[in-house]
Amino acid sequence: MDAFSVLVIDDEEDFVSTLLKRLGKKGLDCEGVFSGHGAIEKFREREFDVVLLDMMLADMSGNEVLRELKKLRPGAQVVILSGHASASAGREGLGCGAFDYLIKPAEFETLYEKLKNAFDTRIELV
Amino acid sequence: MISGDAAALPGHVLRASLMKMYTATIKKEALETGSRVSYYTRQKLLFILLMTLVSVIPLAGISYFSFSYYKNSWIDKTSAELASLADSRTEIIEQFLASQNNQLQTLVDLNSPEYLGQQANLEKIFNSINRSGVITDLGLIDQSGVHRAYVGPFAQQLADKNYAQADWFLEVIRNGDFTSDIFTGYRGIPHFVIAIADPARDSVLRATVNSDMFNSLLAEAEVGPGGDAYILNRAGELQTPSRLGSPEMPGGDLAAGSPALYHTDDFIYAATSLRNGEWNLVLKEDINSSLAEFYSARNKAIVLIGLAVVLIITVATLLSSSLIDRIKEADQQRRQLNNRMQDVEKMALIGRLASSVSHEINNPLQIIESQAGWIGELLEDEKEGRVGDIGEYQDAVTKIRAHVRRARDITHRLLGFSKTGAEAPTEARINNLVRETVSFLKDDAEDNRIAIVSDLQKDMPLLVTYPSQLQQVFLNIMKNAIDAIGQDGTINIRTRTTSDDGANIEFADTGPGLGEGVQDRIFDSFFTTKQGRNTGLGLSISYNIIQRLGGDIEAKNREQGGSVFTITLPSGIGKNYLE
Repeated sequence: MDAFSVLVIDDEEDFVSTLLKRLGKKGLDCEGVFSGHGAIEKFREREFDVVLLDMMLADMSGNEVLRELKKLRPGAQVVILSGHASASAGREGLGCGAFDYLIKPAEFETLYEKLKNAFDTRIELV
Repeated sequence: MISGDAAALPGHVLRASLMKMYTATIKKEALETGSRVSYYTRQKLLFILLMTLVSVIPLAGISYFSFSYYKNSWIDKTSAELASLADSRTEIIEQFLASQNNQLQTLVDLNSPEYLGQQANLEKIFNSINRSGVITDLGLIDQSGVHRAYVGPFAQQLADKNYAQADWFLEVIRNGDFTSDIFTGYRGIPHFVIAIADPARDSVLRATVNSDMFNSLLAEAEVGPGGDAYILNRAGELQTPSRLGSPEMPGGDLAAGSPALYHTDDFIYAATSLRNGEWNLVLKEDINSSLAEFYSARNKAIVLIGLAVVLIITVATLLSSSLIDRIKEADQQRRQLNNRMQDVEKMALIGRLASSVSHEINNPLQIIESQAGWIGELLEDEKEGRVGDIGEYQDAVTKIRAHVRRARDITHRLLGFSKTGAEAPTEARINNLVRETVSFLKDDAEDNRIAIVSDLQKDMPLLVTYPSQLQQVFLNIMKNAIDAIGQDGTINIRTRTTSDDGANIEFADTGPGLGEGVQDRIFDSFFTTKQGRNTGLGLSISYNIIQRLGGDIEAKNREQGGSVFTITLPSGIGKNYLE
């Protein structure tokens, strides 16, 4: 099963819109939000297999969002994407149950592979 | 967009932090100026001086005042004793003189010159008044100056003597009486003459009085060793013997008091006038010989005080040395701590600055990469021939993406990450890392005719560390070495195992070495000797990385010239890494 659903959370709208187009082109069911609260709302509306989460959001920190999402759906696979190249923030994210950690700028191919890995790992667990 | 811990660093805070860092640097340098040693020496000397003064001044003051008080009170007491002695002696002498004078005056009053001129009468009178043997002889001299009668041992010598022109005779005729100075005369016995004229002035009764009594009287005066008692006439001639043989009239105003007191540094004098100032009685006390015992006690005390002063100075020196040493030590520790704090502050600031910059740049880079990738994808889907020069477009996309990677490498390196992602600590072979780094820089070195000589110890232990960060450090140091050499030289790399299974890596170059002041600051951020060619961050970041890896890095000059960077690494990374 190649098609899975992805929620992209990032306050860089140009990045989100382009990424959605490219993931859509790969046949994925994806949506994007630009804030932490938007993400939580969207998560309540429907389920996503994988989440791509920016650590630096205007309204909430990535870790807060991560914890909220994990509360709503503990099985969600979250890949962290951060512009802040600090290992500690990433480790904290991993500690909160994130699948993996990428630092911006990440190439689309790497990103896609990481999301796919996350999804595959989820299948194995279920 | 600014949010989150590292990015939340508004401009004014950054500027303030930078300013703080700048002033902190100045303070550190000011603290390490060369005048430190002399400063402590000065403090030590000042302390010794103060302690010595504080103890010695009161000691010396008390000693001086008690000595001089004792001496002065002794002088006052002795002066008073001397004065009363002089008074009593004067009274006795005056009484004696008066009684002799009165006796003769009575004889002249009661007897006529004719009666006294009879030898038998005079002998009778002489025997009557001379029971004490004080009067040596008695004679009656007539107007013409010739003896009419004489009783005494010198009848023959005096028989033809004519006193008519003698000073004393003229004076007694004029004044009615006369007393002479004391003289030894023919007889070798001190004596003086009293002469009384009758009211008609036609005869004179003359008696020679033995003055031995004065001598014994003065000898009895209890003056101390070196003291003296004597009588002087107006001309300053001795009327009595002087024990010391150096009679002098004391200075000072004799008329001022009776007795007049006067003292020099060596003697105390008490003087009284006798016979209305014809004679002066002088009592003299030798201060130094009387105070000899006191002086010897004082000298002993001075020696003791001297010893005490030496002791005080010794104790003050020892005490201040130990005190100043401790202060110095504390200062040094404080300074080291201060420097360390400043380093930590600087590093933290650099970290936050780099983190913030990297975040701000990484976001747009991500968008550029995304957009370029999207263009690439779209181009792939274009039908052949619809887009002219499609190859050029694709080429451009590839180049954009390559340069995004390049920019990404820079932002990541700024933080000490040479590869994307936070790698986990892994086992690393130092020698392999060194070889790899050398291969990166081989071309650069060859272009500048710089030889890289490696001396790598076999069987180096595996280190658990962050290999890519370590490689970043090696790269920085070697680039630095190549820049330092310029052209034609050698870089020697040496790896060795440390005693605790860590690694020791040395990079030695044949460059000009570290200039004065460079060694202390080489790891400071923004410090560079390569003006305009370098940010001054490379070695600072290296320092930061090595610290985080729990190791140590130091830069020194080699004896044979050039500089050597030595990195020591633990076998596993230290807890420092966990920020």
